[in-house]
Amino acid sequence: MSSFSNMSAEEISSLLDEHGIKHGPVVDSTRNLYEKKLKEAMAKRKQAKPSPDKTFYREEEEEVTYVYRTPTKSENFMESRPYMRSKPEWTAEELEHSASYSGYSRSSEYRGRDYDELSHKMPVGAKTAPIRSGQDAPKAPKSPRLIPLWVQFLCFLAVAVFLYFVFSSMESSEPLKVIE
Amino acid sequence: MSSTSQKHKDFVAEPMGEKPVMALAGIGEVLGKRLEEKGFDKAYVVLGQFLVLKKDEELFRDWLKDTCGANAKQQGDCYGCLKEWCDAFL
Repeated sequence: MSSFSNMSAEEISSLLDEHGIKHGPVVDSTRNLYEKKLKEAMAKRKQAKPSPDKTFYREEEEEVTYVYRTPTKSENFMESRPYMRSKPEWTAEELEHSASYSGYSRSSEYRGRDYDELSHKMPVGAKTAPIRSGQDAPKAPKSPRLIPLWVQFLCFLAVAVFLYFVFSSMESSEPLKVIE
Repeated sequence: MSSTSQKHKDFVAEPMGEKPVMALAGIGEVLGKRLEEKGFDKAYVVLGQFLVLKKDEELFRDWLKDTCGANAKQQGDCYGCLKEWCDAFL
């Protein structure tokens, strides 16, 4: 495909038609031009293709891996409903196991997933990582986090509590009225 | 309708005969030399190429750019000149 010089005029002509390129007869003086056009068209196609395909393939791969593992892990209640896991459960689990697992790369891996599986599949890590594509649909499946999620929640809570404290300890009640 | 140069008017006024390639609008000394080196030494040879490209503007402009390095304006002038000539005489 890359060596157009070996192709006959008819082959180049049909390739041009394939790519929807308007063209005249492929003769000596026009051959160069058409070869260039074909190269450009093919490069464009290659660029457009990889991204959508890759995403689908990866998600499929992860789902397949996960499904295969499901029967072997009956103890884990999360197995039965991978996509319906509510956030609090997930956060709690994160909290539990963030202690035992260090490093954000790992936390990103099991963020939605079973840590047990991951301990077996660490080297292959990325495969089981965001299998909860269903749950993660609203946000990016594999966004790397420098700070674990639970830490962020804690900080948020701390700030909220602090603000409430400050607010409640204010002398005058004027602000309250204004807000109402 | 954009104004056309004197060169353009002169070219489309009559059959091109044996006019040199530099008689074409948009083709000056430098471009003309490059075209001659590639074998396009007469205006009618460029006309031949123009016709083989089915008088398509985009194809002809690309070809001209690749062959002699014409810029957009030069491409447009040459294309317009040949097109009008064809409309009149072909």
